[in-house]
Amino acid sequence: MDARFSSSVVIAGVGALDFTRGVLDASIATIANSSVALALEDCGLQRSQLDGLIVHIGSPRGLDYDEFATLLAIKTRFSSQTWAHGRFCGTVIQHAAMALDHGLADYVLCVATFLNSRFDRHGTTGFPGFAENLREGGGPHAETLYAGLAAPIGGTAMATQRYLNKYGIEREKLGAVAIAQRRSALLNPAAVMKKPMTMADYTASPFIVEPLRRFDCSISTDASVAVILTRADRAKDLKKPPVYLRSYQGIAAGPNEFVFGQRGLGINQAEEYDYRPAGAAESVFQIAGVTPDDVDTLHCYDGFTPHVLWTLERFGFVGVGEAADWAQNGRIELGGELPVNTSGGHLSEGHSNGWGHTVEIVRQLRGEAGPRQIGDCQLALWATTFGDAILYGKERN
Amino acid sequence: MLPIREFPGRAGLSALVVPPSSSTEFYLDQLKAGVLVLQHCGNCGRRRYPIAPVCPYCGGSSFDWAPCAGTGVVVSWVRYPRSYLREFESLVPYVVLCVELSEGPRMFGRLADRDVEPRIGMKVQTIIERWADGGHAPAFVCFVEDA
Repeated sequence: MDARFSSSVVIAGVGALDFTRGVLDASIATIANSSVALALEDCGLQRSQLDGLIVHIGSPRGLDYDEFATLLAIKTRFSSQTWAHGRFCGTVIQHAAMALDHGLADYVLCVATFLNSRFDRHGTTGFPGFAENLREGGGPHAETLYAGLAAPIGGTAMATQRYLNKYGIEREKLGAVAIAQRRSALLNPAAVMKKPMTMADYTASPFIVEPLRRFDCSISTDASVAVILTRADRAKDLKKPPVYLRSYQGIAAGPNEFVFGQRGLGINQAEEYDYRPAGAAESVFQIAGVTPDDVDTLHCYDGFTPHVLWTLERFGFVGVGEAADWAQNGRIELGGELPVNTSGGHLSEGHSNGWGHTVEIVRQLRGEAGPRQIGDCQLALWATTFGDAILYGKERN
Repeated sequence: MLPIREFPGRAGLSALVVPPSSSTEFYLDQLKAGVLVLQHCGNCGRRRYPIAPVCPYCGGSSFDWAPCAGTGVVVSWVRYPRSYLREFESLVPYVVLCVELSEGPRMFGRLADRDVEPRIGMKVQTIIERWADGGHAPAFVCFVEDA
């Protein structure tokens, strides 16, 4: 193991409501409290033991940390909050781990509770995140409204078109990702999508922003997920086996990172070049002393189908430009060589900004995934196309 | 000078852009006059976009403004069959391009030609669109060689 890093942090318990749209009619605090109660029950802890809180998505889609703590009667000595984007699920968990490793708290509650169905469509003026499109330099996904480049899908569509062209990939091969994740979602009672999807269904789904079809897009949902972390030395008090954070690495940013696109595509200001991903040399693998081949299941940010391909390539599961071919014929499905997003992910379980994936990772490593269970699941990787990753294990480093 | 045309969609550029500041004043004044300017680094000499206080290539902070030819090549494109923005509703289906300008930086802009099928590698020319509220923004048309 790399001497630079030795985390002793574990996930103690998780709680999640089913992913739905427009069904939850209670206050955000009441909804959030339901998942917190489930998480406390899952670890066998008392609410009074929680002394750290990190809120992912605040008001108005969710609750900000201060009112969250007040309304849920959580007394913290460490509190934090990140902006309203899915890309910060891993960051929230990493910050919780750092706070625990440095004694700022003993039990950190990480929560994402957000209700999307109460607002207009994402990308429109009625959506609470709309104002972010007017940031200096462009929106969070390269939204450029004077050009008509609107909604998170626009930037991914732009990167996808270039990616397909650069590597000579047939567009409809993206369908394998959507179909694989739908098959898993059908085995997940918490998933919002309940209907099977065939290739014919996929190709019949309309373009939302060409070259991306409706079934290339994640499903906007109402969600509430709570994850409680602690240090390994406290794990013996827990009701269930702990899930170890074996290693992690942060989100990359800067002029050469286009958040919803692969490196080297030359979209926006990111440089166009012959991209050679670090793959197995990524620190998340180096620190834990493992390779991509050792990973039993990959869970990745999947706002749109190409994100899965780009994550497979960035983290060295397959060569650059090869993931679309590689993902065909069930390779990323349950029972395949590398099951990916086995809950159905954002594409079919429901968009949870990575939190549903985290719950699924815990269930897979505990052997609680029911009909979706991967046999002898020892290592699960959370990773994103924007570069952050967490390696979770049944055993510690 | 680049061609200036009326934006064919609905009024209201000011609701779709960052409020002007002293950092963008010159760029916007020049657009209004039919000129697309980019920051030109006083240290490494490269042009950059979007407007930023530091050069992304060398970290230099001195710059002046230099006009662009307006020519460029399509790096990528997308098509919106329906719009998320009421300003663009009457324009669907419309195409947005990612264009690499001859000076290097890339810009997003709508393909203002309605009857052209976009393709990567296509040569384009910048135009400037005047919106009904008085705002100006760049867009692109197919490049036509002078006869």
